[in-house]
Amino acid sequence: MTGAPLTHAEIEELLGVYALDALEPDTAAEVEAHLEDCVRCAVEVGQHHEVAGLLANSGGAAPAGLWDGIAGQLGGTSDQSWDRLAARLDPPGDERDVSAAVRAAAPAAVEGTGPDRGVPAPVVSLDTARRRSRRAGLAAGLVAAAAMVVAVVLGVQVHHLHGQVSAMQSAPQLSAAERAALASPTTRRIPLAGTTAGPGDTPASIVLTAAGTGFVMDDAGDGLAPLPADRTYQLWGVVGSRVISLGLLGPHPGIVPFSVAGSAPVTEFAITDEVAGGVVVSHNHPVAVAVVHV
Amino acid sequence: MDVEQASDANLVVAVGRWYEPALAEIYRRHGGAVHALARRILRSDPPAEEVTQEVFLDLWRNPEKFDAQRGTLRSFLLARTHGKSVDVVRAEESRRRREERTTRETATAAYDIDREVWDMAVASQVKDALVALPDELRQPIELAYFGGHTYKEVATLLDEPEGTVKSRIRSGLGRLRVNLIERGIEPAGAEL
Repeated sequence: MTGAPLTHAEIEELLGVYALDALEPDTAAEVEAHLEDCVRCAVEVGQHHEVAGLLANSGGAAPAGLWDGIAGQLGGTSDQSWDRLAARLDPPGDERDVSAAVRAAAPAAVEGTGPDRGVPAPVVSLDTARRRSRRAGLAAGLVAAAAMVVAVVLGVQVHHLHGQVSAMQSAPQLSAAERAALASPTTRRIPLAGTTAGPGDTPASIVLTAAGTGFVMDDAGDGLAPLPADRTYQLWGVVGSRVISLGLLGPHPGIVPFSVAGSAPVTEFAITDEVAGGVVVSHNHPVAVAVVHV
Repeated sequence: MDVEQASDANLVVAVGRWYEPALAEIYRRHGGAVHALARRILRSDPPAEEVTQEVFLDLWRNPEKFDAQRGTLRSFLLARTHGKSVDVVRAEESRRRREERTTRETATAAYDIDREVWDMAVASQVKDALVALPDELRQPIELAYFGGHTYKEVATLLDEPEGTVKSRIRSGLGRLRVNLIERGIEPAGAEL
């Protein structure tokens, strides 16, 4: 586009045609850039999309043959081979049992309506900070900021947990499989460091078993301050270059299981305060972080 | 994860973990709508199927682009479908074919909503809401959305100033939203 940049008022006039993809590409790009910083305009575009979606809405059955074509391309589109992903999603043997037990032990807090225990590992590919469009840049930036905070936390030690296993194992909310996982000599405790608390304060711990089952431990109940019912703590992990959601912890975490079974090693953890139901991408600064020293 | 019980938002989260059954469930829920919209805009099956595949593969690759706080997954997928379909329509060859059959009757063609909308009750309300729009607001929306025209092309087709068409599309969408709400259909999306 040539000429002076469009004013806010001019862009507002274009929001309807932008939402219907009825702008020339260069002008659309200018509107797109504006939407990154203007929540009001972004919300209006979202509303237009919803209305247009109703016009287009069709409940006809999804063409079955098309899915085969889509499924056939999934393996080659991810950053990892499908074999690795399949193994990660469907761990064999005991790992599967533990994972299933954890899932069974975690009722649906997914929509923020369940009890405090979270759902293991709803995870999003957060190449986010790197791959999101500029419109999503705000969120990505915050995620990146969160990751940065995680990264600068130094000297967090990884402890073996032998001395604490007995007390944890007696926690009534743990299943037999979870207690068994905790009993493993390779289980480690990783203290979380509060980002707002004073030096040395430890709001909670991550307990990580070799089988890939993890627990957020705030069993004393005084590390992570209770949140209102419409909020939840959410656990994040840094895996390679990604920040992934590891699950919802609820407003009063206590002891909450999660799973990283089959995943590449999580090198950093962070906990954020989110709306009930959790978020795909965090916009918030973490309240606690930890670095895993391998 | 019981994908059949999971919300759309949580299915997307699972897709972020490369959980194929979650994508399959999303496809089961919304694939029909996506394909129908692409088919309507492109008027041909092969490109519509291609667009449908691209939409779901894009979600697989970039699930974080869906923001549940901005709207529903279906509207997100349909917006992506529309954008991709329009891109195809505007490609040179498609443009040539389209121009051969483009007439003003596109704007006045009856809406076959009943056939296309997944719920008949909703379809009826959507149709009523659309019919309640004055022609000068409804026609530019139809031409732009289902015809894949730019607003400048719409202005030419309707023989109206570009600025007028631009404003009418925006105000028409706003009025349509109000009409839908008045009929008990609350389009999702954040409030201003």
